[in-house]
Amino acid sequence: MGVRDEQKQATRERVLEAARDLFNETGYEETTIRAIAERAGVSVGSVFTTFASKAEVLSHVMQRRLGDLYAEFDRVLPFLRGTTADRLCSIFAIHYEFETRRVRLFLAHIAASYSPTNDPGVTPYGRNEHLADMLEMVLRDGVGRGDVRPDLDFALTVEVLKACYASNYRLAAAQGADAATMSAAMDRQIGLIASGWRPRL
Amino acid sequence: MSFVSVNIESGSETPVKLTRRALAKQRTRERVLSAARQLFSERGYEGATIRDIAQAAGMSTGAVFASFSDKSELFDEILTADYEVIYAQMKQAARDGENVADALIGLFGVAYSFHLEQLPLLQASIAVSWTRSDAAEKRARGDIKHLFALINDALERGVKAGELKADVNTKLVAEIAWDVYVANYRRAVFDGWTVENLVAHLREQLTLILAGARA
Repeated sequence: MGVRDEQKQATRERVLEAARDLFNETGYEETTIRAIAERAGVSVGSVFTTFASKAEVLSHVMQRRLGDLYAEFDRVLPFLRGTTADRLCSIFAIHYEFETRRVRLFLAHIAASYSPTNDPGVTPYGRNEHLADMLEMVLRDGVGRGDVRPDLDFALTVEVLKACYASNYRLAAAQGADAATMSAAMDRQIGLIASGWRPRL
Repeated sequence: MSFVSVNIESGSETPVKLTRRALAKQRTRERVLSAARQLFSERGYEGATIRDIAQAAGMSTGAVFASFSDKSELFDEILTADYEVIYAQMKQAARDGENVADALIGLFGVAYSFHLEQLPLLQASIAVSWTRSDAAEKRARGDIKHLFALINDALERGVKAGELKADVNTKLVAEIAWDVYVANYRRAVFDGWTVENLVAHLREQLTLILAGARA
């Protein structure tokens, strides 16, 4: 990597870190590109040479965060135990624990996925392949374990689970609920959906 | 199906005895609401300022503040008016359904048809619901509570008809159904799904959600 590229990379890192903290501390809407540049110690212009918009900055902040999380998941997934429902409950509980550390950041991420102004450089919530793949794998393995029927629509089930997962963050948004409360809600939802995916006798 | 916003057509229900002053005030409100609706749709909630709205309505910001205490009140009034327009239709659609799935598809279908006509406004309202304060949350919860009652009614009828298990947690089923209903709007936003696409997909999702609840 040339000196120029290294500098560019360093700027990028600093911007993403500053944005992550500001979005969580003061809120996404309230945070300006100028404020991000100031916190990162770079010029406003150099933020814009790296990212087209604030929405793109948020998207990249989340991608990087989730990249780290999923690298960790790849390591722990083989060690999950219990029924398919149990394993899914664990996966979501870990997500809630992780995201509630910076909950306003995550709420902004969900809000942005409904934003009327969509940028081409943005990967909105719901389009994370890694989460979908992981959930689908656990469900498919459930067929082998014998607690998931083989004719289940796996992709559709993953989608329903993801909708519940995201929606439970309303508890955090409206009532300041913690990770344990959201996990408990998710456990109930998974329990109900699981009662429909068990093999029919 | 035609959906006319009550914001724009509230004139017909005006009591005759309104004074000229009161009438003028009401017209101001209507002008503000109509301009605000347009701008929120175009720019989202954060992107539209009171100043912009006043300008679009052809009045001073002071005149806007005489009718509404702040932007969030203005936004809430638009959403509540919309909600009032569709509630009765959703209720009827739920009644017309012959089984649980049809009742739910009916009521959510009304909402999809209505909101897809003005998708940017809906997007703004969902986006705001994730980041805004207690006041917004309270209003939304008030409206949503009525909708949840409709969903619950449909599920309870299914229990009575022997379609669903007697011990099914209808509240939980309603919650999950609502979650997928809302999440599906992203398909309209990002993938250009039509009302028909959304309804067909929701039907599959409901089949999956109800699978464990069926008697």
